Amino acid sequence: MILGQADSPPMKPLRIPPCARAALALLPFLGAAADPPALAVRNARIVTVTGPVLENGTLLVRNGLIEALGGNVPVPANAWVLDGAGLTVYPGLMDALSTLAAGADLPQPGAASPRNGPSAPSGATPARGPEDRPLTTSWIKAADTLQAADRNIDLFRQAGFTGAATFPTRGIFGGHGAVINLASAPAGKMVVEPSVGLYAALATGGAGSFPSSLMGSISYIRQIYADAAHYVAMKEAYAANARGRQRPAYDRALEGVLEARRLLLPGSRAVEIERSLRLAAELKVRAVLYGGHEAYRVTEPLKQSGMPILVSVKWPERDPNGDPDEVESLRQLRLRAQAPGSPAALAQAGVRFAFYSDGLQSPDQIKRGVRRAIENGLDETAALRAMTLAPAEIFGVADRLGSIEPGKIANLVIADGPLFAETTRIRYVVVDGVKYEPVQRENAR
Amino acid sequence: MRALYLAAALAAALHAETFLLRNVTVHPVSDPDIPNAAILVRDGRIADVGTRLAAPKGIRVIDGKGQHVFPGMINSATMIGLSEVGAVSAGNDVGEAGDFNPQLRPLIAVNPDSEHIPVTRANGITSVVTLPVSLTGTSGGGIIPGHASLLRLDGWTWEEMEINRAAAMVLQFPEVRLSINTPGELRPVRIPFLEARRTYESRLRDLTTFFENARRYQRARTAGDAQLRTDIRLEAMLPVLEGKVPVLLLAGNERAIREALAFGGREKLKVILGGVRDPGAAMAAIKAAGVPVILREPTDLPGREDDPYDHNYSLPARLHKEGIRFALGSFNNQFARNIGFQAAFAAAYGLPPQEALRSVTLSPATIWGQDDSLGSIEKGKWADLVLADGDILEPRTNVTQVFIHGRETGVESKHTRLYRRYLARP
Amino acid sequence: MKHPYSLALLTQAILAAPPVVIRNAHVIPVTRPAFTGSVVIENGRIRQAAEQVTVPQGATIIDAAGQYLMPGIIDCHSHIGVEAINEGSVSVSSMAGIEDVIAPEEIAIYRALAGGVTTANVLHGSANSIGGKCAVIKLRWGASAREMLFEGAKPGIKFALGENPKRTNSPSSRGAGTARYPTTRMGVEDVIREAFTEAKAYQKEWREYQLKTERREPAIAPRRDFKLEPLVDVLENRRFVHAHCYRSDEILMLLRVAEEFGFRIRTLQHVLEGYKVAKEIAAHGAGASTFSDWWAYKVEAYDAIPYNAAIMLKKGVLVSINSDSPDVIRRLNTEAAKTMRYGGLTETEALSLITINPARQLEIDGRVGSIDTGKDADLVLFDKHPLSNYAVAQKVFVDGELRFDRARDLAARPEREAARQALLERERPGARRAPARRAQ
Repeated sequence: MILGQADSPPMKPLRIPPCARAALALLPFLGAAADPPALAVRNARIVTVTGPVLENGTLLVRNGLIEALGGNVPVPANAWVLDGAGLTVYPGLMDALSTLAAGADLPQPGAASPRNGPSAPSGATPARGPEDRPLTTSWIKAADTLQAADRNIDLFRQAGFTGAATFPTRGIFGGHGAVINLASAPAGKMVVEPSVGLYAALATGGAGSFPSSLMGSISYIRQIYADAAHYVAMKEAYAANARGRQRPAYDRALEGVLEARRLLLPGSRAVEIERSLRLAAELKVRAVLYGGHEAYRVTEPLKQSGMPILVSVKWPERDPNGDPDEVESLRQLRLRAQAPGSPAALAQAGVRFAFYSDGLQSPDQIKRGVRRAIENGLDETAALRAMTLAPAEIFGVADRLGSIEPGKIANLVIADGPLFAETTRIRYVVVDGVKYEPVQRENAR
Repeated sequence: MRALYLAAALAAALHAETFLLRNVTVHPVSDPDIPNAAILVRDGRIADVGTRLAAPKGIRVIDGKGQHVFPGMINSATMIGLSEVGAVSAGNDVGEAGDFNPQLRPLIAVNPDSEHIPVTRANGITSVVTLPVSLTGTSGGGIIPGHASLLRLDGWTWEEMEINRAAAMVLQFPEVRLSINTPGELRPVRIPFLEARRTYESRLRDLTTFFENARRYQRARTAGDAQLRTDIRLEAMLPVLEGKVPVLLLAGNERAIREALAFGGREKLKVILGGVRDPGAAMAAIKAAGVPVILREPTDLPGREDDPYDHNYSLPARLHKEGIRFALGSFNNQFARNIGFQAAFAAAYGLPPQEALRSVTLSPATIWGQDDSLGSIEKGKWADLVLADGDILEPRTNVTQVFIHGRETGVESKHTRLYRRYLARP
Repeated sequence: MKHPYSLALLTQAILAAPPVVIRNAHVIPVTRPAFTGSVVIENGRIRQAAEQVTVPQGATIIDAAGQYLMPGIIDCHSHIGVEAINEGSVSVSSMAGIEDVIAPEEIAIYRALAGGVTTANVLHGSANSIGGKCAVIKLRWGASAREMLFEGAKPGIKFALGENPKRTNSPSSRGAGTARYPTTRMGVEDVIREAFTEAKAYQKEWREYQLKTERREPAIAPRRDFKLEPLVDVLENRRFVHAHCYRSDEILMLLRVAEEFGFRIRTLQHVLEGYKVAKEIAAHGAGASTFSDWWAYKVEAYDAIPYNAAIMLKKGVLVSINSDSPDVIRRLNTEAAKTMRYGGLTETEALSLITINPARQLEIDGRVGSIDTGKDADLVLFDKHPLSNYAVAQKVFVDGELRFDRARDLAARPEREAARQALLERERPGARRAPARRAQ
């Protein structure tokens, strides 16, 4: 426990039962709810991502923002000062596609089957076609349903995550994602950007409910976009002259689609990536793909499309519930062997990509996944970028997040060694200028 | 239609089961082919075969017009007579309820007027094994669904069709099944391996227990226990335990085959291994056990993505190379008539053509214990003969007449009747 | 494998490839008498096919003495190489399309290719009266989903009549599921008539809009309806109808409904009782794509006879033999051969059922279906006559490119097994995790 260090404010020694320690994991700075005081890190190695590495620099944080950095930055007298000797400061990590704190998923029409994930409330009716807007909650926003009390916030922050793009991911059109800071703060204060994109998946409904197949799901997405275009035309005409015109019915599903700043489309295997690239081009939407395991085979089309891809670090594994005697296909084995090489291939091809957790619950697993990408040829700088600046750029918040630059939000991770090394410990995490200290677990890596 | 002219001509002949079939090339299977030969049939049996046979006085002579004669083919796995239209459950008599039904005998449920009989026969298949279990699906029948019956495709009643009502006891060896089809679900449901194995182990225990019970019953019976009450099920197991009736052990893949053979060995059963499709490394175990095999159709799709594309096409050739005796079975009704074509496919992929023909004639006759009466054109055997204008394993060949016990069955069926009727539609 | 995901590279490869001459083969062009001679392949096309040919400079020579060269086989009814088959939730699922779900790496494609098939009409399933859109593909094994599509082939749509759309065979009908209209053949007819009535109204709505815009009157474009658009395509002869059917009554019903709405059924699929109404089918101008000898698997297949193809052919119907199966597609040549036993077709007639006839049915006969100068070099080399059960495809060319070679396949087997073992070894616990060698 490193509570109550010299540079921390005096605090009552807490008695925490051992079992609760893990849950608390990170304890926020006292008084975090109020304006945080200035914070300075001295004599640290600073990896800015956008600029050169400062080998022995000082970083000043004030009002939640990075105020200055350099070799010789004056530190205000009342600032908390961290001695950064032997430490490295990185921009805080960001999970580029997460459901962290995204809130409860809402019921959707046509989601009658338990196969579809968490079972829908009873009374869910089968959808008879696109007009029933099956598996759609395109109007909901993670920013509006944010659960600040999500316990996983602590867990991820301890591992150096300071932010996430978090989405409602149920059904075909799940809802709008938000870029949030993993702060111990009221939901509203966590939100950095409330609506960064609409999450779409090629999901299917219960038996007897449209769509029940992959091609049905694709056709539905296509129809929704056509309906949205028509809806706009009808609304505009009505707004111009309501007299004598029938009122177009308000359609929240289309409103949600029209509001989308980007469309997230699935693409893990090569064939899926190409399919989503085609669909995005056809719909004329700005798309962000997610999946990316077989991206190493389709770097060229990805590059040409200019569309970024979020790469899941949950690499494919042998099915633990499968038959141990099963002779797996070469294709399957190759995918398993080569998927972690996709990030390196994307980096080499100049395709913008970012990493995401893909349901991995433990930050350790996520880091292990990133390490595998590094072992498979991705250089560490590119790996860091894929968890900092790249997601910020992809979601249009690079003016605020993703690197250590004056004026950006002070989201930092301070570690005692190279960030992805197995032995490195994270010493401090700064979110919105507030310092958090990981509670070092007995056997933490 | 040559077939029809000839059939009409032959129908007029006298003394149906005694005749001389001359001017034919004989393919005896048991011996080299004999061109320009004749076959003397007396009372339904082959009395002589040769190139210098003279027609006994007053005997009916059939001119084969240079055609070929083959022994009638035997299809070693069908459901003929038990199932008419696959999708109609009301007409299905395969798959009785319960896991252990050794007392069941398919023969007595064979519908002698099933349209499958003339349709199958018209392609030169004269005998079939009919099984009480559906092997195209995964449904029903349990572990011991009953006997396999061997029948000839001619007769007014099932009694007249019988060759052997208890040709074997069918034993569907339990397998670890990782996916099951459930009504109302579009896709099969995946089951975790450990759970599937538990289910499998429990079924294997049921099987072992059933055999233990049968053994105890056998001991009590041998001891002449006066208190012993007759148990029809266990009674049916006695010939199996005594090795008098073989067990058709159905096991498809390597693991199941190994375990089924081990079981057969432990229980000292007379085993015919059936439904084999992917023996893998268990080939050696089959060879070591010295048991014959009933193979599925060589056109079965390979089970795994990376299997060679001709994996099952070449399986008969691989068995032959190992010296394993085998016969082919359709394991369905719909394509039962194509068993000869299936044999040819095996030949296309490495099985010597003579062996291909043998796998649907003499080999099954031997495996089913009928090599003294069926499967080849030899003196003393039943005159189950097929007259054709070429190789009966080829699709272009026309089968012109089929004899069963010397009786001309013709090659008419529902199919030819509808053909003629609608060809003539104005 | 070449880089599999670029049409540009694919095209370049064909154009850059040296010409190929297949020599001394028994050539079966199907559209004209067979001969012993050579076929010259250049730029993916058949440059010359004759007893004597001019061998281009630098040509690769394949000596095919004793072997049989026929056009690549065409399957007019297949479901291979897709990730989904049925959008079975609705009675009219014309918005769904096979083109969206092509799975170019599905092994069934390779196995079909190894059986000599070079083109397949990949259809939506038969769960609904009006099913989804179809895709004609070339079996360019190794190419991407997009590159598999037969460029320029007219799009199609699947219809289905009888037991399947009325759901007697669906799993849910056995469960407690609620009945989905239709449940009778009467209902099937109604669904089709309702859909086309709707499509006509939709067509009219768009025509009016177009007229208005032509007259420069203010107008808002109607809502695009992806369910009705393919039906308008049908009405305007831009899309072929491939209709799954069995019984003579339903066949006749569909012909009459189509005539009522002013379109033509391009092919009747399966059409097992087509022989009963061959005259009517021929009069309507529909093609028929049937099985060789399937029967008795359901009630509507109980009057199926293997003479079906022969009767229809003799009565003037354009007939093909299809597979509808990843198994049967591997041996369509011997399926076609059965028509010689059942109905006495000639060798050429039999082979036309799986080459030029399906090509005509799909209106791609300008490109494929026979060995003629200028056509795509889609060819199969068999070691024996292709109508023999003993024949094995040795080499299969698609667009002049050797996409299957039995010798190469056999030779590659140990390598593939070694590659598998190496990958498994890497995964073994304790194995040092070396970076994977990247695929090309």
